[in-house]
Amino acid sequence: VAARARQDRWAEVRRYRHFYLFISPFFILFAIFGLYPLLFSLYLSFVKWDGLTDQVWIGLGNFAAMLDDEVLQKSLWNTLIIGLLYIPPMLVLAFLFAQLLNLQWLKLRALYRAAFFLPCVTPMVVIAIVFGLFFSSERGLLNFALTSVNERLPFLGLKPIPWVVSEQWSKVAVAILVMWRWTGYNMVLMLAGLQGISEEYYEAASIDGAGPWQRMRHITLPLMRPTFRFCLILSILGTVYMFDEIFILTRGEPGTSSTNFGLYLFNISFQDFRFGYASCVAYSVALVLFVGALLINRRNRSDVEAAAA
Amino acid sequence: MKTLSAFITVLAALAAFAWWVSTPPAISPTSSTVHPVADPAKVKGRVNVWAWNIAAKALNKLAPEFEKTHPAVDVRVDMTGARMQSRLLLALASGVGAPDVSQFELNDALRYIATGRLADLTPVAAKYKDRFPANLWKNCVNKDGKVYAIPWDMGPCAVYYKRGLFQKYGIDPDKIETWDDYIEAGKTILQKSGGRTKLLPLGANSLRILYEIMMQQNGGQVFDDQDRITINSPQSQEVLGILKRIREAGIYSEVAMWSQEFMAGFNSDTIASYPMAVWFAGTIKDTVKDFSGEKQVWGVFRLPAIKPGGTRYSNYGGSVLVIPAQSKNKEAAWQFVEYALCTVEGQVAQYKSMSLYPAYLPALSHATFDEPDPFFGGQRVGRFFSEGVTQIQALNRTPAWTEAFRYIDQALSQWAATGMPTAGFFANLEQKLQRRLGMEISPSSLSKVGRR
Repeated sequence: VAARARQDRWAEVRRYRHFYLFISPFFILFAIFGLYPLLFSLYLSFVKWDGLTDQVWIGLGNFAAMLDDEVLQKSLWNTLIIGLLYIPPMLVLAFLFAQLLNLQWLKLRALYRAAFFLPCVTPMVVIAIVFGLFFSSERGLLNFALTSVNERLPFLGLKPIPWVVSEQWSKVAVAILVMWRWTGYNMVLMLAGLQGISEEYYEAASIDGAGPWQRMRHITLPLMRPTFRFCLILSILGTVYMFDEIFILTRGEPGTSSTNFGLYLFNISFQDFRFGYASCVAYSVALVLFVGALLINRRNRSDVEAAAA
Repeated sequence: MKTLSAFITVLAALAAFAWWVSTPPAISPTSSTVHPVADPAKVKGRVNVWAWNIAAKALNKLAPEFEKTHPAVDVRVDMTGARMQSRLLLALASGVGAPDVSQFELNDALRYIATGRLADLTPVAAKYKDRFPANLWKNCVNKDGKVYAIPWDMGPCAVYYKRGLFQKYGIDPDKIETWDDYIEAGKTILQKSGGRTKLLPLGANSLRILYEIMMQQNGGQVFDDQDRITINSPQSQEVLGILKRIREAGIYSEVAMWSQEFMAGFNSDTIASYPMAVWFAGTIKDTVKDFSGEKQVWGVFRLPAIKPGGTRYSNYGGSVLVIPAQSKNKEAAWQFVEYALCTVEGQVAQYKSMSLYPAYLPALSHATFDEPDPFFGGQRVGRFFSEGVTQIQALNRTPAWTEAFRYIDQALSQWAATGMPTAGFFANLEQKLQRRLGMEISPSSLSKVGRR
């Protein structure tokens, strides 16, 4: 019976072969540019390879090396700190801006939206030059402002901040840059979420006598939860794999105090040519992230189902 | 269960396929050696060259001259940008697509030589050994004494200063003999300018550059001649002490090398001098046009000595040319490399067109180096830098040099950010290098000597 069923299936495939042919380009391209690198780097996780000389099979050696790689641990810790520094305020700000731009009576809304979105379409090189001048310790704009305020209001005790040359402040500088760059993007996502909420809920609530705060608490926030989660996942992934912002602003220094996982991965692979080890690290961290995202998503789904019910 | 095992089988098969596809073809050692040809004028074919920036422009201008004597050779210079390294790495790894001639930074040369993917130039190039400074040649030769690269330009170091500022604050550069004299001059300038003018740029994130220059000047090493770590030495500690004194005196500007402020300092009175290599002159000349501010008359004086009477020469930077083993036209490629790098004519032409300072010693006696340079107030800068180049100490660079210097860079920037604790700095750094690079610590290191 099983053989018969298989035969039927193949007959069907042959019958609809043109359709399979039409959808094949994606699968072929994906196999070459998606699946192959994925599998190859899985294989690389078990070898020692500099890209040029012979690959040496070392089994779980790379995984063992990860355990006492203090730079990896430091970079993961930095990633966490930088994420905590900017993700919560960024999402709150993005939500507030989205609320404002969703007001029907506001004039020039399209202009504001474009303005808020501008940072994430600006080339990183331009941003780097401008923020380099902002954060510069000696003649930077921010420190100039701090010193000027201090001259007029000395009781505040403001001092110039060693933005990119102190181990603590370098993370803050990165967080400020990232927040500035990605708030607009998250705002657009949240705006879409807000506009997806049907007006009927608000009308019904108004008729029942709900004030603005109650409408926010019982309609907007619950229905926005999937959007928040989505923004959160994107931001977490973005923090882990962030590269150009840090590379251009601090190069991960001083010490390794602003090196996040993305920059660390770049260093061990494309600077040190330790492709085997880099694959191993990338796979391990990706696995952890994958499981994490899965958990967040599962909660998301139950939320959506609850909202639908 | 059945689907799972089928899935694992497919995965394993695909991984095996990936491995098979990725294994590069072996290159036979005989074909990867360049041998002398009977009649050099008869070589023919296309020679593709990869180089960057002004180096590519210099070779491009040289190609027609070369083709006059080698009419059957067609030299094409491909000016590639920042992605050159990764493109070249891919080409070398896959065994196809590499050029016939490629540029490398001196620092990186040994790393690529160690991979065995470059052509052995020993039969044709060994005879040039004495015509290049020993400290450069050493980076072109592997442990067995085989030659894989030819030095191109070099970077003898000195201090660039603004004549006007030094005059204004009464500093005589001829009186500066040691780094401590230099620091004193910095204090005078700082005081007389009311804190506005700093003597030099020395951002925490760029400390490694001056560290490398001074360490080489002071006879220090990162690795000994058997590839063991020996950075914890009295020489290194003296250098760290000077860096600390500079920073404690407050005479430095906290700007990163190549940043906007670093470059803008060329035309302003915020920075008075820049200790750097000969190629930096080109950078200054090129950049001052683009920044506002008063144009300065510059000058150069010798690197201050670590101790009174000590050496005042060091080298920073420089590049080499190599021929990848996979090149199909190595003989013609070598003819071009030899003309460009191992003849007075070729090297002087590149100095004239793009200010590439020749590593080929015979070229330095050419009259063009005696010309006074108006940009430097009539100083004979070309001649100035040629003095002492053969006395520069050779560094034992290893294939791990670039990676080692990233850790040194990180350690120094952290050191500057945490109050500059000198005690144990190099011992800790050495431990870290040992762990990260998997290399031994040399018996000559202070950490070993101290324990005995």
